Amino acid sequence: MIEINQLSHHFTLGKKGQQTRLDVLKNISLHVNEGEIVSIVGRSGSGKSTLLNLISGFIHPSEGEILILDQKVSEFTEEEFADFRLKNMGFIFQSFQLIPSMTAYENVELPLILKGVSEQARKQMTLDMLKTVGLDTFKDHYPSELSGGQQQRVSIARALILEPPLILADEPTGSLDSETEADLLNFIKKLNRERGITFVIITHDDEVARIGHRTIEIADGELVKSGVLV
Amino acid sequence: MKLKDQFRFIQQNMKKNKMRVSMTILASAMSVAFLIVLASVAFGLHDTVIKDTIESPEVTQIEVAGKDIGNGNAESLSNEDIEQIEALEGVNAVTRSKQVRQETRYITEGYEINTQTIQSHFPSMKNAGMDLGEGAFPEEKDEVAVGYHFALNLLKDDVDPEEAEYGEDGHLIPEQRFSGEIIGQTFDLEFKRMQDGEEITETVPVTVTGVIEKPGREWAWDQNVYITDEKLAELEAITGTSKAMLTDPADAAEDTGYDSATVYADDLETVKSVMTSLEEEGYFVYSMVSEMSQINTLFNIAKAGLIFIGTIAILIASIGIFNTMTMAVTERAPDIGIMKAIGASPKVIKRIFLLESTYIGLIGAVIGIAVSYVISIGVNLALPLILESAFDEELPQGLQFSSIPFSLVLIAVAICLIVTMLSGMRPAKRATEIDVLKAMRREV
Repeated sequence: MIEINQLSHHFTLGKKGQQTRLDVLKNISLHVNEGEIVSIVGRSGSGKSTLLNLISGFIHPSEGEILILDQKVSEFTEEEFADFRLKNMGFIFQSFQLIPSMTAYENVELPLILKGVSEQARKQMTLDMLKTVGLDTFKDHYPSELSGGQQQRVSIARALILEPPLILADEPTGSLDSETEADLLNFIKKLNRERGITFVIITHDDEVARIGHRTIEIADGELVKSGVLV
Repeated sequence: MKLKDQFRFIQQNMKKNKMRVSMTILASAMSVAFLIVLASVAFGLHDTVIKDTIESPEVTQIEVAGKDIGNGNAESLSNEDIEQIEALEGVNAVTRSKQVRQETRYITEGYEINTQTIQSHFPSMKNAGMDLGEGAFPEEKDEVAVGYHFALNLLKDDVDPEEAEYGEDGHLIPEQRFSGEIIGQTFDLEFKRMQDGEEITETVPVTVTGVIEKPGREWAWDQNVYITDEKLAELEAITGTSKAMLTDPADAAEDTGYDSATVYADDLETVKSVMTSLEEEGYFVYSMVSEMSQINTLFNIAKAGLIFIGTIAILIASIGIFNTMTMAVTERAPDIGIMKAIGASPKVIKRIFLLESTYIGLIGAVIGIAVSYVISIGVNLALPLILESAFDEELPQGLQFSSIPFSLVLIAVAICLIVTMLSGMRPAKRATEIDVLKAMRREV
């Protein structure tokens, strides 16, 4: 599913003329198999979020290559990556990233609109998806009228609506209480089991990391170990 | 993303900032209305002038003043020239005339008038579709037609011409002028000839068969008498000179050319081509069409100038659109970031913002057009009343101060759309450049 070869990334910080280079990722190589749940763990500032952003195409790598579904996405233009993301990737963010002026229904419907799905088909698909995440009765609620757990479920519904083969989650339980966290993790496992969706989850929480089939640890921008967490 | 959905997006976004968007639309509407109303004055006056010209019967006429014979000299038209002109494509008729080269006097029972005598070619006048105001065209040698003002200035012979009184209309007062039926009236045409250095008075009879129509222009005056070719030939035979010139026949130069000729084109469209053909043949020509072309040029310059001034107003309004769109991009940066993250392409983002600025411009243009029509109708109704009451003068009939043709509407809409699209370009580009991560962290 994902193949990363000798990936390095650095940021240039500071004013012009007084810039310093910060190496965030150093020579990372890893792969994620189809249907796997992979947890990427590490301390704050270890570079795990940067790795996820590189896989997502939000930033371009300084060196190395990333292949997703056998396509060298690291060479994609912004336009190409946007199209690729729409068709193949779903996102779950720590802070949900819902559009506040849109209802739950409209937020979930958004990827379908971007893909150009007809209004009639959109309506059915969105309602089905909201039902799947148990929010069909909250469809007309704005994000500010929903709890954290409900917002995250809207965010998951939006990630799943186009049935992407890969979902990238950045600290998905970071803003949730423990009960809601457990519900969400069970839901992710169910989706993986029943739909074969590949999950890459960034977390610093061992509980969350444990749902992964495999755990990759990053420290100071380098791969520390890759294996099954005990 | 479908266009319909993009529009729905735009409408949702616009609803979020109703007041700001409304003010921007209002500014666009005002600028479009300003452009249209301003230019409509030039269009209105141009239409009035053109209408006046086109409706004038002279519009298909071409005056031929003479023929170029080189070295800047000209000669009057001969019968061969007339034949050549008549043979040209698009020529309906050629009327021509020769003026008798002395003042003539017409005397009937108790009345007389001194006036010019002109030989006219009546068959060609008939061909040109000319109608007499009254009566019929002369056909026999002694028959004549008289100008519209002839009878109005036919003075009683017991009144000394020095003491003749004229009314406000410029004609003789009714008590001193002829009041009977002019058609059928017989006159003695009195003229002179030179013999051995002495002027000898001669008379020949003429009978009026028709009265020429009143001249088109208010100021024009026509009290001439129009005689036939044969009558002129008679006068020439008696005087022994060309055009009955008051000269000793032995000293008189031969002058058989026509003093004036008017070419009647088939219709307005052929006037230009006939004129070109005549000019190519070396004739000196003039027609209202050449005047119209100059008028058109002048009005077109005026229109372009007024549209340019109006465009400045639209440019000023576009600053408002630029500000509105820039603020919209800044406010919506987090939403744009989320959309980009889930797969909205920069192209779609750009299109949404461009469409939004165009949409604002379009609504402004539609409102502006509606307002312009209302103002235009109001101006056309109210301004004549105001001017008439202010200056106490009646304005010419059919005078139109403001006219909004569809072409002006199209021009205004096109300018408005181009300007609003351009003003939305920069904000739209900025929207595509929004960094996803920064936007999602609310750092933009």
